[in-house]
Amino acid sequence: MSIRIITRAIQRLSTVRTGTRTPTYFKLMTRAESTTVVPKQKFDSVTEQYLGFGNFVAECLPKYIQKIQISSKNELELLIAPEGVLPVFHFLKNQTNCQFANLSDLCAVDVPQRSNRFEIVYNLLSLRFNTRIRVKTYTDELTPIDSITSIYEAANWYEREIWDMFGVFFTNHPDLRRILTDYGFEGHPFRKDFPLSGYVEVRYDDEKKRVVVEPLEMSQEFRRFELSTPWEQFPNFRSASPTTEEVVSADKEKK
Amino acid sequence: MAAREASKCATKIVRPLLSSDKSEAKKRVLNLYKTYYRQIPLMLFDRHLPVSKEECQIKLKEEFLKNKHITDVRVIDMLVIKGQMLLQEIVTKWAQDCHIMTLFKDTVEPKPNDFLSKFVNNNDSQ
Repeated sequence: MSIRIITRAIQRLSTVRTGTRTPTYFKLMTRAESTTVVPKQKFDSVTEQYLGFGNFVAECLPKYIQKIQISSKNELELLIAPEGVLPVFHFLKNQTNCQFANLSDLCAVDVPQRSNRFEIVYNLLSLRFNTRIRVKTYTDELTPIDSITSIYEAANWYEREIWDMFGVFFTNHPDLRRILTDYGFEGHPFRKDFPLSGYVEVRYDDEKKRVVVEPLEMSQEFRRFELSTPWEQFPNFRSASPTTEEVVSADKEKK
Repeated sequence: MAAREASKCATKIVRPLLSSDKSEAKKRVLNLYKTYYRQIPLMLFDRHLPVSKEECQIKLKEEFLKNKHITDVRVIDMLVIKGQMLLQEIVTKWAQDCHIMTLFKDTVEPKPNDFLSKFVNNNDSQ
């Protein structure tokens, strides 16, 4: 009897987490791939090559790609709309001229000043063409993002990590649950509004014979954090004069 | 003009998390509550918790009523998702006894309210 109820509870868990399973973008994608023909081009520099490739992707997916940029370290970045996560990654993985088959990293950035405060960053590697690309999209606390585990298996744990650390929900993820924090932990620690000391402290209670969690209260002196390093970076310049230079006036030089 | 602006704000289309309207969200919350309620005797059968079935049921009700002021469907959905994850942790026994007992907060001392107990407690941060 107990097993039946447990299985029923698990079944209920899976039924509640509904969503559209059929990828609607699929038909559209196969058509776009078959009709695009890329002429061979000569590029003067790597940057130009990147820009050419970025423009090619933007021409193929004009609906989703909002901006193409080259970072200061000469890396290609695509900024895409959150609705276009699945089609863009399907394209980047399967198009003959892209073949970014490897998802090397996936992480999030929290910028509380923005209306869409979370930036999701995907780093892809194409072994076929020996290139990397960075794809960025955005979301807020309550807007879900499509999981790309149907395209990249590697995204499974990365997306769990983002869910755990930032609280961004990924739809159609096969097993979205905590990965780094302890069971019963509340809050998302990588959010900028999460305090450095946390909300609770954990200790072993001898009376209760178990680990107990209690709200943390810190007096002001423990709250003051020294952010500079305890080691001196440039000891030779300890007694150096201030950086302003004295300008010798013309009168003094004459004397 | 202002009314039009306001209506534009009010009808901002957002992507739903799970439920498309309030009745659906309510159904999910009730469904989750029932599942928890049925899980309580099994949970107590499997573990050695120093609480009774009735205490657990009161605690469950209290935890749900803590969020009764929330009206945003997406916030409700997010709470339902987190509740499902906690239930999964309890059912599969990933969460140990101490993790479940954190909900009861039986070691947390109540904050001093009157002057004398604050003085006796002698904490600068109070």
